[in-house]
Amino acid sequence: MQVFLIFMSAILVNNFVLQRFLGICPFLGVSKKIDTAAGMSLAVIFVMVLASIITWLLNGLLVLMGLEFLKTIVFILVIASLVQFVEIFLKKTAPALYEALGIFLPLITTNCAILGLALLNIQNNYTLIETIFNALGAGFGFGLALILFAGIREQMEFADIPKPFQGLAGTLITAGILSMAFVGFSGMIKL
Amino acid sequence: MVFINSLILLGSLGLIFGTFLAFAAKKFEVKEDPRLKKIIEALPGVNCGACGYPGCEAFAKAVYKGDAPHDGCLPGKRQGVPDKIKAIMNEEA
Repeated sequence: MQVFLIFMSAILVNNFVLQRFLGICPFLGVSKKIDTAAGMSLAVIFVMVLASIITWLLNGLLVLMGLEFLKTIVFILVIASLVQFVEIFLKKTAPALYEALGIFLPLITTNCAILGLALLNIQNNYTLIETIFNALGAGFGFGLALILFAGIREQMEFADIPKPFQGLAGTLITAGILSMAFVGFSGMIKL
Repeated sequence: MVFINSLILLGSLGLIFGTFLAFAAKKFEVKEDPRLKKIIEALPGVNCGACGYPGCEAFAKAVYKGDAPHDGCLPGKRQGVPDKIKAIMNEEA
């Protein structure tokens, strides 16, 4: 029950993009089309889950050796290697997706959502199972926000928007309204 | 002691991840036309974006596909980059 609550809370209540405001860059950058948004979400879910598991295990090692102060650099190393692997893998298996994601794929490396997740797992003293579910929830939450937003933006392409609000201005306002909608979930799950 | 421990830890982690990535890169290698690589090498590589593409690599790909003109690189014009690209494209074509 506890893991399910963690999972749901990471998706809805503590949504990484719309509640914690982490990972805004790909949220605005890759949300023009639903296809690329879905591809990006899958890449992020994959990196988040694997990075969480590896960083959780490594944190145990760090505590054992008394080197907790190296957390950030070790975690970044793990995330960077994983992202590199995803990039190599996608280039071979899905070249179209690789082209569509462009610069945002290597940028997952420095995506604060993933480092933030790894650090939050440690901060909350989660067990390995809880960590995995938190990572899954965070990934799906990121995907949910990204795909919802991509859907809205696809509709906005055809809408008659006043000139000052066209383009990025309208996008940012929409992101704000979407975030406000997610505030409605706050307090629903208390951990 | 802390100093040595951190050196050992980071060194071994780097080694493990590096080996893994080198292995993965070999396994998932993508064969590319050598001409594309030559075009990328011929360009100045400053990623200025004056050609209208995000970075020299994107421009090289566009030239290779025939979407961009061979003299689209502005900073490379004086160094004779357009001629180089033309020569590369005419190789074994």
